[in-house]
Amino acid sequence: MAMNRRDFLKVSTSASGGLLLALNLPGCASVQTGYEPETGEWKPNAWLELTRDNDIIFTLDRVEMGQGTYTGLTTLIAEELDVAPEAIRVEFAPVAPEYRNPLFGLQLTGGSTSVASSWQPLREAGASARLMLVMAAARVWRVEPGQCKTEGGYVRHPNGLDSMPYGKLVELADKEVIRGDVPLKPRSQWKYIGRQAGRLDAEAKSTGQAMYGIDVELPDMVYAVMTRSPRYGGLAVSFNRDQVRAMPGVLDAFITERGVAVVADRYWRARKAQEALAVEWDFSEAVGLSNPDVFKHYRQAAGDDPGEDERVDGDPEAVLEKAGTLVEAEYEQPYLAHATMEPMNATAWYRDGGMEVWAPTQAPDLGRIAAARHTDLSPDDVTIHTTFLGGGFGRRLTQDYIEEAALVAYRVKVPVKLIWSREEDTRHGFFRPAMLHRMAASLEDGQLTGWDHQIVGPQILDWYVRNAAPAQYPWAPKLLYGTLGRVGLMVEGIATPKDISAIEGAIGYPYAVPNVRVRHTHTDPGVPITWWRSVGYSHNGFAVETFMDELASQANEDPVSFRLKLLESEPRHRRVLERAAELAGWNQPVPEGRARGVALFKSFGTYVAQVVEASIEQGGIRVHKVTCSVDCGQVVNPRIVEDQMTGGIVFGLTAALNGEITLDGGEVQQSNFHDYRLLHMHQVPEMVVDIVDSEEPPTGVGEPGVPPVIPALGNALFALTGKRQRRLPLKA
Amino acid sequence: MAFTLTVNGRQHSLDVEPDTPLLWVLRDELGLKGTKFGCGAGLCGACTVHLNGQPARSCSTPVEMAEGAEITTIEGLSADGELHPLQKAWVEQGVPQCGYCQSGQIMTAAHLLANNPSPDREQIVTAMTGNLCRCGTYPRIVAAVESVAGGVGQYQPAGEDA
Repeated sequence: MAMNRRDFLKVSTSASGGLLLALNLPGCASVQTGYEPETGEWKPNAWLELTRDNDIIFTLDRVEMGQGTYTGLTTLIAEELDVAPEAIRVEFAPVAPEYRNPLFGLQLTGGSTSVASSWQPLREAGASARLMLVMAAARVWRVEPGQCKTEGGYVRHPNGLDSMPYGKLVELADKEVIRGDVPLKPRSQWKYIGRQAGRLDAEAKSTGQAMYGIDVELPDMVYAVMTRSPRYGGLAVSFNRDQVRAMPGVLDAFITERGVAVVADRYWRARKAQEALAVEWDFSEAVGLSNPDVFKHYRQAAGDDPGEDERVDGDPEAVLEKAGTLVEAEYEQPYLAHATMEPMNATAWYRDGGMEVWAPTQAPDLGRIAAARHTDLSPDDVTIHTTFLGGGFGRRLTQDYIEEAALVAYRVKVPVKLIWSREEDTRHGFFRPAMLHRMAASLEDGQLTGWDHQIVGPQILDWYVRNAAPAQYPWAPKLLYGTLGRVGLMVEGIATPKDISAIEGAIGYPYAVPNVRVRHTHTDPGVPITWWRSVGYSHNGFAVETFMDELASQANEDPVSFRLKLLESEPRHRRVLERAAELAGWNQPVPEGRARGVALFKSFGTYVAQVVEASIEQGGIRVHKVTCSVDCGQVVNPRIVEDQMTGGIVFGLTAALNGEITLDGGEVQQSNFHDYRLLHMHQVPEMVVDIVDSEEPPTGVGEPGVPPVIPALGNALFALTGKRQRRLPLKA
Repeated sequence: MAFTLTVNGRQHSLDVEPDTPLLWVLRDELGLKGTKFGCGAGLCGACTVHLNGQPARSCSTPVEMAEGAEITTIEGLSADGELHPLQKAWVEQGVPQCGYCQSGQIMTAAHLLANNPSPDREQIVTAMTGNLCRCGTYPRIVAAVESVAGGVGQYQPAGEDA
């Protein structure tokens, strides 16, 4: 990613007289909004400030939801600035009027892109700041800048005796002009990049001091709870208002666009009043689906509509028609909830014509639109303060919880914190879409000659555009938001980038097969959906890699060598597969009663192969060991890469073993951790992570650990039982 | 109703309904936000505190049940202003990802070590398995507890083989 420094960096004096570098970091690649900046307009989204008191402050536009962004990005600056990463203080960038106008290039964190997209600009920012400090010192000392050194926040004189702290130089430094490119350190001189290092936020998160959205405290704050329609799209008509308002501590109770709000002086009193609610709902626009309907709907759609071709190599139709051996399979995947440990919540305060919101959000810009939606405010009147996130995984890209807090705050005009219960969080989620995959392939003498993958299901951008389209026109009256959303849907893929959420990972099918067809039958049952850790890769990984296993078995080949033969021209795929197989002892005997399965999947630019060793014990699936090899290019922090792989494996296994949201008459049947079960510690397998040493540009690690483990486990169960499971979650 | 609670060695008088969960009293009346709300049903462990040295799920403990008990929260785990050895281990091992569940994890681990200074891996897993972590930090939690328990203290994943 070659970038001209001028395109993303501006130097000025900060309010306190320090050196301020304003940066424009490229946005997120996978979560494309389609709303590009107007040409010529330059809007910074990250700031590096060096103060006269030797403080170094990095204001970050990405949020920290656990994936280590905070640590990874700081390491890049620290390396070039020649300070320890711990010396840099990180603050979250609010979405506030100073940074507004026009609203564009939405502020989002997702798509495993933070380190990848910031790799070059942040190092250059650190190097630029360092160079300006060195030039200033050299001018004072009357020496050549090239002879000065930097270390631990000081510029050292060539005589080896004198030194000056950065803080003393910041006022001089901002007058220095850098001509030409700023040289970056060669790899051999790195002190922090690639080093095993802890996380900068570990202490705050181990002492209870880290502030999450739910911890926000404001003067005279009140608490709200929202009772939503049990079926998506239902509207509250009436409720026992007088009875609820008479309950202890209740300040207000009223019908909103989102359901019935109860406001009380204490959270528990709001909850108790909520228990006494009797609401009459209008379900005429509500989703009334039951679980079997979803897949019936998909099968019908798959038959009616062959789907839009997303990739065609050769002549797959003809080859499949004349196939010596035609192999066909159909895979089903359920809706999945995010189940972040911190339930949805937001705190809002409406005063002096403006709305301030504090929230754990992955998309502050969308939060502004959501907060304004049911008020007379414009998104420009809204300031969002982001906090630490108690997990995101994509759920906090949808801003319904901010919308709710804001509409209550708009009415009560005092600070209000709205907290979802776990049951509400599970039932009123936006889910990973349920998907159907129809696969067909032809084998000729054991050779894979044709591949047809039909993906059936919705695409996420449809749900997002409805909410995000107004971002392009913040001046538009809110009455037009619905229209803008509909227009956005019509021009999706034409005026906006194409949404690849349904097909990602399938169109990139890496195996050397001469005839390939990947198509998408676009159909949406109306159940709310959003991004979920690894998004489309999560379901395409299962379909592609399970089917590859079926084909290997059909061809009487070993699943690893079957794949390797088709990866002659894919060295990075090959390497992780070979390494995972070797580390897992693929060719060694399996312990008695167990079997191994393998899967290989590239997502977000990162290559991951995993081998799962599993058994069935006492009627349950037991995962003993997962061996993972990952190639994510240059590693910034190996510990974080390892943690994201093991965390991704646990997340993927949770989906493979337990994950399923089901509907009955439009109502979600799961509610809390007893029926939407997460993996407990005793169920966690031994995990071995191998990281490929690479000088390729870094790619994301937050999500790519998830997709392969699901098919790898299914493939292990096939090896164990001889029975193929084509539906998730897997059963013993 | 008026209650007197002893939290982290200090007495507090407050007036709340007797069935209010201790969790919300700690967080909203006493400002101790380190104890987290996760499920409200005693299923996840994010709200774990100590009542007379025993781990308790504060989301499911009515405040009236906590009156008279010595209550310890993550903020009071270490009385002397230093980090508790487990907190140090958590930082050294880089355990937290999103971090939301970690107060509860540490409180559960602290109870384990107070009663069994040298637990083996199986005992650690048995003690900790009621505390959920959606980020999947389990291997690092085990390593951190082991490092304090005088174990190997290196990154070794949980699991019956290891």
